[in-house]
Amino acid sequence: MRSADRATAVFLFALSVAFAAGALKYYSWWGPGGPGSAFLPFCLGIVMALLALLLLFKSFRSSDTGSGWLPRGEGLRNMLVVLGATVLFVALLKTIGMILGTALYLTIMIRTLGRHPWWMTVAIAVAAAGFNWLIFVHWLRVPFPEMGIWIF
Amino acid sequence: MDFLSNLQLGFSIAFTPFNLMMAVAGVTVGILIGALPGVGPPSGVAMLLPLTFGMDPTSGIIMLAALYAGTMYGGTITAVLINTPGESASVVTCLDGYQMALQGRAGAALGIAAIGSFIAGTVGVVLLMLVSPALAKWALSFGPPETFALMLLGLTTCTMLAGDDPLKGYISMVLGLMLAMVGYDIISGDARYGFGIPEMMDGVDFLPVAIGLFGLGEVLHGAEQAGKAQPATGRLRLRDVLPGMADWARCKWAIVRGTAMGFAVGVLPGAGPTVASFLAYTVEKRVAKEPEKFGKGEIKGVAGPESANNAAATGAMVPMLTLGIPGSATTAIMLGGLMMWGLRPGPMLFEKNPQFVWGLIASQYIANILLLILSTLFIPLFVRAVRIPYSILMPLIVVFCITGAYSLKNNVWDVGQMLVFGVIGYLMKKLGYSPAALVLALVLGPLAERALRQSLIISDAGVGIFFTRPISGVLMVLALLAVAVPVVRAFLRK
Repeated sequence: MRSADRATAVFLFALSVAFAAGALKYYSWWGPGGPGSAFLPFCLGIVMALLALLLLFKSFRSSDTGSGWLPRGEGLRNMLVVLGATVLFVALLKTIGMILGTALYLTIMIRTLGRHPWWMTVAIAVAAAGFNWLIFVHWLRVPFPEMGIWIF
Repeated sequence: MDFLSNLQLGFSIAFTPFNLMMAVAGVTVGILIGALPGVGPPSGVAMLLPLTFGMDPTSGIIMLAALYAGTMYGGTITAVLINTPGESASVVTCLDGYQMALQGRAGAALGIAAIGSFIAGTVGVVLLMLVSPALAKWALSFGPPETFALMLLGLTTCTMLAGDDPLKGYISMVLGLMLAMVGYDIISGDARYGFGIPEMMDGVDFLPVAIGLFGLGEVLHGAEQAGKAQPATGRLRLRDVLPGMADWARCKWAIVRGTAMGFAVGVLPGAGPTVASFLAYTVEKRVAKEPEKFGKGEIKGVAGPESANNAAATGAMVPMLTLGIPGSATTAIMLGGLMMWGLRPGPMLFEKNPQFVWGLIASQYIANILLLILSTLFIPLFVRAVRIPYSILMPLIVVFCITGAYSLKNNVWDVGQMLVFGVIGYLMKKLGYSPAALVLALVLGPLAERALRQSLIISDAGVGIFFTRPISGVLMVLALLAVAVPVVRAFLRK
């Protein structure tokens, strides 16, 4: 936890200094009759920088040596599987389309995470994809990304 | 009387078949969302908000408000049966509710929670109906300084109550405000922090952020625990859920106290159902003749907090509707929804959109009755839903997060943004930051900035304007106290 706090503090400090400096450089500090578009961002940047310093200071005084805040073993594996598959789904969204993608994603995920029987996995995936189609495409008329010749 | 005709208008709207259907859907989905560990009220409201885009705003808010009420009860089911709060307002219910379940009195615990929720919710709506118009009328006299002071108060109290570490709460809040600065500036027209990317210049939309932080973030967090087994639960029949006379007599004052405190806490900007339930538990324990029974299956320890969280969920509507200041993460997302539907939250809402406000109020009466019926008649069904394995639930939630984020503006950019904030939400939860404070700040940021700059234009750049006007002065002092109290407390502890 302590090292995570330190890393966060350094990151936030750098971010907020850039944020405040960028505000002053590119936007106007004072506009006609009142504060301009740089006014609040600059102030927020300064406040955040101070908070980040406080966090850093606190992390040095803390006695908590922090035994790993990240999960290990199966927990970590599950988390990474979910995250990885989701990133992949979003990246391929435009290529395979939303409805087909939903069905595939669910099939893969339910099977990998739970080892449920195939019939159940496929049934849930198809039902959820169908529900999505019904609500969003049929009812709300959301133009989902489609895959080429597929009607999906 | 003007008031009665308004209420009549409200009921005529709430009783249309479609709106009734929305209330039923809202309560049902709400109970489910509340019952499922890992999805709480904010994620439920954020994920369902895209569904309302095709509707009339009144139907939309009816569904979301019914959902909010439903989640408050749904969380109880898991708290009592498997000792896992479905959402944070049910954390204290675990203490005595689960003990009751171990003693074979799960039915009584759920039953008293349902009845307490019904009473508290209904009384809450009556109070909402009586308080809001007057408050809205008073708030009409507010100028930019008062608005700014009020928003500052909402932000600081929410942050103060956000978690164990106030410093991390404030970091979350300021980060939310910084994100709110991205995009076109309303006064000068500068595209701030856009980096030439058109999507960035439009600003950071709160909805993908909220769906990411609460929906996906929770899923990633839950994925770690997915391997751990959930204990089996017993069977529950309708007969078991109806509390006996003895339980009822024991709890009546706990319900009354819970309702009163819950509503009052809910009305405060920044404090919501979670705070209310903790407060109610503490008070019940303090006034009890046998405080040693608490934690060992005392039914009052269920009745008080469960009444309080429902009353608070209703009370939280008051500042949202009358002042345009949300009291919690959930109402912050609803407020964002209001703006998306093209309504302007604030005191004018009562005058300009009476059908919206009164339709919502009337439908809240109906939602509470529905909640009572559903929570008693269909309890066995919901109990089964609790047992859906996480390995099936999680991917479904992710799919819903993705479709929700996409349908906001029909682009993949928002989905990517949701994904990024999902990871940020996961890290925030792990490291003790407050996603609620971030979302609240993101929603309020642009409004607060406008109020601040307008105030400074009026005063010719003098900060004194916030302190010399009586209402804004009081609010500013309260806001500063909310910052100072945790700091002083931290110093005293050393």
